Amino acid sequence: MYNRDVRGPLIIGEKTFGQISTEILAPAEKKPGKWWFAMMTLATLASAWGIYSIYITVSRGIGTWGVNNTVGWGWAIINFVWWIGIGHAGTAFSIFLLILRQKWRTSINRAAEAMTVFAVGCAAIFPALHMGRVWLAFFIIPYPNTRGPLWVNFNSPLFWDFIAISAYLLISFSFWYLGMLPDFATIRDRSRSRLRKVLYGFFSMGWVGSSRQWLRFESLAFILGGIAAVLVVSVHSIVSTDFAVAVEPGWHSTLFPPFFVVGAIFSGFAMVMTLMIIIRGIYKLKDYVTDGHLDAIARILVFISLIMGTAYATEVFMAWYSGSEYEIFTFFRNRVTGEHALQFWGMIICNALIPQLFWFRKIRRNLPLMFIISLCINLGMWLERYIIVITSLSKDYLPSAWTSYAPTWVEVGTYVGTLGIFVSGILLFFRYIPIIAVSEVKSVRDIGKRKYD
Amino acid sequence: MMRSKHIIGVFDDEFNLVRAVEEIRGKKIIIEEVYTPYPVQEVIHAMGKRSRLQIVAYFYGLFGALAVLAFLYWTSVISWPINYGGKPFNSFPSFIIITIILTILVVTIGSLATFSGRARLWPGKKHRMYDARATDDKFVIVLNESEAGAEGLATAESIMKGNGALEIRKEEPEDE
Repeated sequence: MYNRDVRGPLIIGEKTFGQISTEILAPAEKKPGKWWFAMMTLATLASAWGIYSIYITVSRGIGTWGVNNTVGWGWAIINFVWWIGIGHAGTAFSIFLLILRQKWRTSINRAAEAMTVFAVGCAAIFPALHMGRVWLAFFIIPYPNTRGPLWVNFNSPLFWDFIAISAYLLISFSFWYLGMLPDFATIRDRSRSRLRKVLYGFFSMGWVGSSRQWLRFESLAFILGGIAAVLVVSVHSIVSTDFAVAVEPGWHSTLFPPFFVVGAIFSGFAMVMTLMIIIRGIYKLKDYVTDGHLDAIARILVFISLIMGTAYATEVFMAWYSGSEYEIFTFFRNRVTGEHALQFWGMIICNALIPQLFWFRKIRRNLPLMFIISLCINLGMWLERYIIVITSLSKDYLPSAWTSYAPTWVEVGTYVGTLGIFVSGILLFFRYIPIIAVSEVKSVRDIGKRKYD
Repeated sequence: MMRSKHIIGVFDDEFNLVRAVEEIRGKKIIIEEVYTPYPVQEVIHAMGKRSRLQIVAYFYGLFGALAVLAFLYWTSVISWPINYGGKPFNSFPSFIIITIILTILVVTIGSLATFSGRARLWPGKKHRMYDARATDDKFVIVLNESEAGAEGLATAESIMKGNGALEIRKEEPEDE
């Protein structure tokens, strides 16, 4: 899609390798500013509220939530799907672009993968709590037990989900960590403090940068990249089958797997954009995260936004075309109009219309506006999950079973808590881990400059 | 630790390094190791090593897929069959999803373990570097006398000098 003549230099300015290390490692080697402590305090408070909400949920039970017999899935599942979606971009970013040999990924993949690991960690909290008795969660692991042996239902999408998310968390973490080995070694060898030498020495696992290590490093990166690419597509497809397998109006659709995967990558890329704008602004890394990088993300977003718009239109069209009165009711009386119309149109505006602004070059160069649009997209994606979960469940086939749903403070608290955990994770990442993959950036230093040709 | 005489050439430019390595290898002199801050394909190629990790990973995948399918068949058909609305116990199509995911997991864990063993990397491993700047901004070529021979060392030294090595150091064997 982008060859280097079109793209221009990936790194701006004539830099020595030493300079690249110094500039990128500065946040990890210096004391953080006041904003860092302020943000950390806020995030810790939010996490504390979340942990208290989780404590209430576990000690008193799911009855403290707003969910009921009809709407069995509430905010917990909305937030689960939302976080998993955000978690998709890190892997999508580094792996699809690694396989396609897109060199511009090098400045962004580290932060995107960090985001993936924290987001998937946050997501995993919700289904675990939703099990009800979370201390018996290990029942879902298929091990030879004394209860029969009673095996789990291998045909259930909920079990597939458990397998997929655990595997995804482990693999995205391994991929992230693998990329950090050379950078930890760089910090170790540059550092004068004994403590840092020992700590980063431990985590760098004895990396020395020999040609033998690089050879194996590269081939491992391609193996993990190749198989994790399958995972990116399959994990959210599996999440979508949680819905699509159920015979609910608005859920029972073959459109769901691709629709969910694209939506996931959409929200994840929007979150990558949010993060990269923050990193660029706070840490003065404009030479590494260039206008060109953000421009490329914006172009991808406008493309995915078109797919999302098409998917929404397809859903509504198919509801009418199917002639099923339940589908028609769900879409035309309960989504486009009705109790949840505000959320529905909010979703359409945030996901399908606002990102279309990225067609304009001026807007792709306007950082504050891009920042706002990227937040809008994640709001829109949250509303999309709200629409899917709540409208279909609250009013399905039997009007006598219809009910409405509102979250309690416990559910809201758990959500805010995961936001806090995510932000504090990202802040710790800023502080202790190279935000940009130093060794990878060094390898693309001269790309797009005359010296290279 | 060091049994024989070493010669260490330090470069600060990828292109000079690649020329030097290729010239030394062209004279059939054995290079002990080249240390670079980022992967340099030409150097990896010139060193003549090839990784068989992909082949190993393929077999991990094959093993993983078969093992998972066998496990699912055993639990669902042999160990404790459950009748779900008269559907076949061996519901192969819906086993495929778990098989794919767990195969990926087996390949990942297997390849990571193999990588850790072959590249000699594990948490807390002690490392030894001829020049600590090789992880930052310098490229380092190391040759030793027992592999390259005294004559080889001398030739390599002149090649490195000719290709703009920043510094060339010699380390005498340590007495043990």
